[in-house]
Amino acid sequence: MLISYNWLRELTGTKLTPLELRERLTMVGLAIDSVDEKDGDSLLDVEVPSNRPDCLSHVGIAREVAVIEKSKVQSPKSKVAKTQGKVSDFASVGIADPDLCPRYAARVVRGVKIGLSPVWLAKRLDEIGQRPINNVADITNYVLHELGQPLHAFDLTKLSGQKIIVRRARAGEKLQTLDGVIRSLDNEMLVIADAKQPVALAGIMGGLDSEISMSTVDVLIESAYFDPDSIRRTARKLGMDTEASKRFERGADCENVVNAQTRCIELICEIAGGLATEDLIDVYPSPQPARSVSFRPEKVENLTSLRVDVAEMDRILAALGFVSSAVGNGGAKTFVVPSWRVDVSLEEDLVEEIARHVGYEQIGSELPPSAMAGEYQPAEVRRRSMRRVLTGLGFDEAINLSFIGAAHDEIFALATRNEISTPPSFVSLSNPILEDATRMRPSLLPGLLQSLRHNFNQGTKDVRLFEIGRVFAGSEGGKLPHESELLGLIASGGASEQDRAQAPRELDFYDLKGALEASIAAMNLPPLVFAEAQVKHLRLGQAANISLADGTVIGSTGALTETISAGYKFRQRVYVAELNLTPLFEIEEHEIKYGPLPRYPSVVRDVTLLVDRNVGFTELVAGIESEVIDDYQRVNLVGTYEGQNIPGDRRSVTLRVEYRSDQRTLRDDEVEERHRRLLDSLLKKFNAELH
Amino acid sequence: MTESTNQEDPKNQVQAARKAFEQEFERFARLTDASAQSLSLAAAETEQRELADLHTRHLGKKSALSACKKLIGKVAADQRAAFGQLVQQVEADIIERITTAGEILSGSLQSARSERDRIDVTLPGRRPRQGHIHPITKLRERIEDIFVSLGYAIEDDREIETDFYNFDALNIPANHPARAPQDTFYTTEGFALRSQTSTVQIHAIQRRGAPLRMIAPGRVFRRDTPDPTHNPMFFQVEGLCVDRGITMAHLKGTVAEFLRRMFGTQTVTRFRPSYFPFTEPSAEFDFSCFKCGGTGCRICKQSGWIELGGSGMVHPNVLRTAGVDPEIYSGFAFGLGIDRMCALMYGLDDIRLLFENDVRFLEQFD
Repeated sequence: MLISYNWLRELTGTKLTPLELRERLTMVGLAIDSVDEKDGDSLLDVEVPSNRPDCLSHVGIAREVAVIEKSKVQSPKSKVAKTQGKVSDFASVGIADPDLCPRYAARVVRGVKIGLSPVWLAKRLDEIGQRPINNVADITNYVLHELGQPLHAFDLTKLSGQKIIVRRARAGEKLQTLDGVIRSLDNEMLVIADAKQPVALAGIMGGLDSEISMSTVDVLIESAYFDPDSIRRTARKLGMDTEASKRFERGADCENVVNAQTRCIELICEIAGGLATEDLIDVYPSPQPARSVSFRPEKVENLTSLRVDVAEMDRILAALGFVSSAVGNGGAKTFVVPSWRVDVSLEEDLVEEIARHVGYEQIGSELPPSAMAGEYQPAEVRRRSMRRVLTGLGFDEAINLSFIGAAHDEIFALATRNEISTPPSFVSLSNPILEDATRMRPSLLPGLLQSLRHNFNQGTKDVRLFEIGRVFAGSEGGKLPHESELLGLIASGGASEQDRAQAPRELDFYDLKGALEASIAAMNLPPLVFAEAQVKHLRLGQAANISLADGTVIGSTGALTETISAGYKFRQRVYVAELNLTPLFEIEEHEIKYGPLPRYPSVVRDVTLLVDRNVGFTELVAGIESEVIDDYQRVNLVGTYEGQNIPGDRRSVTLRVEYRSDQRTLRDDEVEERHRRLLDSLLKKFNAELH
Repeated sequence: MTESTNQEDPKNQVQAARKAFEQEFERFARLTDASAQSLSLAAAETEQRELADLHTRHLGKKSALSACKKLIGKVAADQRAAFGQLVQQVEADIIERITTAGEILSGSLQSARSERDRIDVTLPGRRPRQGHIHPITKLRERIEDIFVSLGYAIEDDREIETDFYNFDALNIPANHPARAPQDTFYTTEGFALRSQTSTVQIHAIQRRGAPLRMIAPGRVFRRDTPDPTHNPMFFQVEGLCVDRGITMAHLKGTVAEFLRRMFGTQTVTRFRPSYFPFTEPSAEFDFSCFKCGGTGCRICKQSGWIELGGSGMVHPNVLRTAGVDPEIYSGFAFGLGIDRMCALMYGLDDIRLLFENDVRFLEQFD
């Protein structure tokens, strides 16, 4: 809101320069965005907090300046010089819906001469960004910016029956507002109507038909108080935001209605001529009682640490318009809240009034004494370990929006499928802002695939990303949706090396698997179980379910299906994994215990077996471990081979078996005997051949 | 006759051995450090081999000198000592000269081999490409570390909330514009996507009671159309401290300490009165521009100050709703946007980049 410095000076006689005012007003809570020079005046752009509608005028700002400078606001005195006739002879007012319009005042000026405003008035409005229209309209606008009370001038003769009826609109009624738009009204909107039809949208904008024109002679000046919620609802519904609605929806000053009207009538008589009626119609069926707040002065120090003299507190509150009405027990006072301060209702509100005028900069700065120890979230250590490991393995951390499109429904097997109802229900937004982002994501994969597409589009072909974030699933019975924390991985392209242009090899299934295993190891959790599986979004034969030791499936990993790949126009293999962290975070960590180092050397034997392709490595290991072989320690993979010289249904697997005794060094022939026994059983068990 | 003369005069045999050596050794005798350095690795190796052969030929068991040694016993007794000395002197001389040449050669060989094995130590080290933690996570971890060290607990809770936690408990009036579907996302079931992490404060007070200190970093949602300074989802951190005797001085001290640790010890913090439904009194806080130090620049829009967040003393209604008696306890709360802080710190001019996950962007935050 623009405030004219010259105008403000007329009201307060301020000795502060515009730049000093900028600083001082900012520090009492009225931030000044800018100060601009214009035609010998300075314009302050004030950011008025939403709870301070009383500051949406020059007098409102002047009140704060007066408290700052310990001066007084020179309120414009209103006195209508010449009057004639009773208003009831010319017009009548009825409020049909007093819940939405507690007060309505009308007064008539007859015989005005509509014309351009005098230069001083036009200039003043123009400076603060208000376009001058004609003298009467400009005066109502001027008083709005002076006193904060929106007013409206009707052409009296255009009001059918010279009647004002404040009522809810009827469904289907229409009104063409001053901006020329024809508005369709509904029965929640308050209108000002004449005997026939709506003539103004109450508190928002007047109607075109009853507006002041060059031929207007008699005017009716409306000054009213409207219910803030009603004005806000209507303005929002119609997409309107006017100077009037801005003030009414935040709360105008119900007790300023007549004063502002008198000021307006005075200026009209002075500038546009005409004779005002002797009296006014003031419909105010249930006057608002003044509010009061009880206040203990020590509360100021308790909440702010400021030590302020009671006399200074009284001065600030009095200057702001609070009237001390009684002193109670223990020095507690009661203050009557000025009618314009709709924001004040509690003791704490008064504390703020005092604190901001004493100055927040006067408040000390110290750390509070503490008997508490800090703590991370229980899973935070694990999350951090995971991030360190994954970045070490070349994965960049991604963060995607939590909303995705409905097009992803049913495409992905959900990592949370053990926790939620089947079939899963999605959480949808009733008011999405992005096209095609209507669902709360049930999976991290759509976001990661989108990110991959983005990187490919930018020419980055070697991409490894991970994301840790929440996914959502609907609950039954009106309960809050499920939220689970997931780890998602995506990898495609080469296993690139730092600062080198060419990756030594392509990424594959085992890179993702390794990353998952490393994450689990970094969290010091028992290893996951990977088993070949059919997973909706993964390519058959390169897909695995991931489960906990107890068999609970908590995710999957593998190559993306060709169908999904084609949908994203991916031209290279893409590997994805998703893991539900929520159950993982509940598992206890491994206990770490020292084991004595071996005292005798171990002996290793490599063996290459030709087995059927459907014999898995874990099966082989399990087969070996199930044999009782003395001094057997462990088996590790050396490598596998398929292709030339190997039958199509077979695979060659090279294993390294380690033997060691804790009692002595094993002799060669002993190892040979044990190894032979192991091999014989393996060959039999797996229908294998030595290769 | 000559032969017998020679045989009769063993000295001549010694002289002959010496002469033969000198003839063969001639090219080694000319060897200097400089000339040896100019030999190729292969030539130097050949020379070294030939020098070794030379050694064998002139000092070995079958050498002329070796034969002379055997004569020592046969020489007349009165000449034996002199002859012996002569043989030894010649032998020592040969050894010394071969050794010297050998040293020169092996020096040259060593440097030739080093030259052959020289590598470019400026080539990049061998390591897998390093991944990067998202800048939001980096800041979030830093903020968490600072507050844990100040005795705060880190808390988080649901991202989809009831109106009670998102609004009512925060003293946001029933008709407040923030509740409108223009500003807050709602699910079709009518739940709100949390529009601030203050929701976590209420859960935390209910769980832990007073006294309490906590911060809640997390994802929040507001119905903003994406543009360079807005996203419909962003990250926020809110802090809360409730105890007996908590004042605004503690709020100022805590925020100032946090910002100093975040932006450097020279950082100055300023508090201005403001309005939030959940605090009273309320304050916005600015910090002195980390770029210009307060003199005014592009980042702080010439004001010397950067607006960062909101704060205040927890509204008594909020305390009461969460089950804390405001007559016994008081508390402060503050909140700020991590995305905004990220944009400020890294000079990011379009925060939409934060959620595009462009590797070229993520790589810049190490």
